[in-house]
Amino acid sequence: MNAAVPVSLIIVPLAASPLPYLVGRWSRLIPLSPRMVALTALAVVWAVFALMMRDYVAPVTLQFEVVAFQVDGLSLLLAALVLALGTLAVIYSGPYMAGQTGEEKYYALLLALTGAMIGLACAADLFNLWVWFEAMVICTYLLVAFYRRRPTSLEAGVKYLVQSAVGSALVVLGIALVLAQTGTLDLAAIRQAAGDATLMPAAGALFLIGFGVKLAIVPLHTWLPDAYAESPSGISAVLSGVVTKAGLVALLRVAAALAGITLSWGMLLMAFGTLNIFVGNLLALRQTQIKRLLAYSSMSQIGYMLLGLGIGIYTGESSGIQGGLFHALNHGLMKGLAFFAVGAVLYALGRLSGGEHTLGIGDLRGTARRYPLIGLALTLALLSLGGVPPLAGFMSKWQIFVAGVGTGTGWIDALVIFAALNSVLSLAYYLPVINALFQDASSTAGQPARRLPVAIVLPVVLLAAAMLVVGLWPGALTWLTQPATSALMAAFGGL
Amino acid sequence: MTILQVAAAGALILLGIGLYGLLALRNLIKVVIALQIMVKGVVLALVAAGSLSGQINLGQSLAVTLIVADTVVAVVGLALAVQVRRRFGSLDVRELSTLRG
Repeated sequence: MNAAVPVSLIIVPLAASPLPYLVGRWSRLIPLSPRMVALTALAVVWAVFALMMRDYVAPVTLQFEVVAFQVDGLSLLLAALVLALGTLAVIYSGPYMAGQTGEEKYYALLLALTGAMIGLACAADLFNLWVWFEAMVICTYLLVAFYRRRPTSLEAGVKYLVQSAVGSALVVLGIALVLAQTGTLDLAAIRQAAGDATLMPAAGALFLIGFGVKLAIVPLHTWLPDAYAESPSGISAVLSGVVTKAGLVALLRVAAALAGITLSWGMLLMAFGTLNIFVGNLLALRQTQIKRLLAYSSMSQIGYMLLGLGIGIYTGESSGIQGGLFHALNHGLMKGLAFFAVGAVLYALGRLSGGEHTLGIGDLRGTARRYPLIGLALTLALLSLGGVPPLAGFMSKWQIFVAGVGTGTGWIDALVIFAALNSVLSLAYYLPVINALFQDASSTAGQPARRLPVAIVLPVVLLAAAMLVVGLWPGALTWLTQPATSALMAAFGGL
Repeated sequence: MTILQVAAAGALILLGIGLYGLLALRNLIKVVIALQIMVKGVVLALVAAGSLSGQINLGQSLAVTLIVADTVVAVVGLALAVQVRRRFGSLDVRELSTLRG
């Protein structure tokens, strides 16, 4: 394959990211909308991605001096998810963000975020990985605190920034430890170079903490509900749907590089996964604000991904890894859909600007009658998150459970049963929301019903359709999960 | 003590000061400074790691990259602090606790 293709996959969104800002600034000179510029740039990236997928046969490695890139199945999986949700978020944000101060910066940051995440997906050396990670995190700081006139939004931004910055610093400390002991940062070469270096487990622990902040692994999750609930809904969808997955990919890359010489990653991921499932569910149970509820449910869904990946890595079987990655894709679809649909209700109630900008479960009453499509889509998303067949979320959870039971180990069986019971427990907070959706609109009767623009309805309908297709035909995403699984298996080297 | 041991000890001390500052300080600007001190410890660790492994160029170029990235974080942090001062009327991080549950 021509080396220009993978390079432009990263370069195009990054190079285009100042354009929406400039166009917005010089709106008198250039009569273009920032959003259209961003969409055009994303269309070009889509074309490059299609070229990439057409010609992809085996991992492609690119080396620029000491900076190494590798495009493998895992990169493509993350890039596809990033592009899908990023594009939908740009479409969606048109009416949602219209008239907000700094609208042009919003699209510029969203494009830069897309480019940084694709770069992270393709990084093949440790420091490169960190640079993309940091670029991604900086874009999200600004997007989380985007409503800068809103005190709660600033508060969420500050909490998020401090926790993430400490996490980042610890990751670099881990990189310094690896460099000091092995003299190389190439992910593929670290394992050979490490020999019997004694401080490698410390480096592994630092990476787990550092990337764990972004993954919201249990004691490091406190920024998550604030950040998800206070950012614009398009950004909540991207944060929950993709940014956590980017953290997961970063952690997996590092874990694979250190596998066998440090901690037992399989067991660690299983342990943290189970903890995340349980704590996320417990915290979600007492939420009354729907966006916070969805944020905590993200924690528990991340737990399922970690559980699946942990089972796969522990046993060396591909089915667990594939289940975990499949769940990561599905979670992107489901949670993106849920946040988009909730944002649509916020838009309909006219709560985007002004004092009240939260949405309690009671505020959803009558949604299904007034906006049947949104009501149906949100119902589907929540049922799928709760793992009700035949929706997408059920398929991937099922695959994870089957992989766990297939190991025939007693304590993994116990973990799987615990996770399955938690899936039932999660319905205890999804069902009241669905119940509210279909109740009579007594509480919001006085509210004026706004028509929803096509740009808001379209992403919701597309994601709902995608989720149904994946649920009824789970093989629909195998073209993404299969190469990603083999890439991970190869990276872990059959451990 | 060799120069490397001094560097490693310095890195750990800076990290410790930074972490302590993050936990103890109440002023948002001081929190950003504490973050900076912490990252400076990491910069020192990177340079020391480069020289220990014989890859001095690599270690130093990584350190420079880290300084750039870290400055961006500091700028964003201070920009947030300006906005917090405007909206909350104070820089006390204890006031930033309206979101709960």
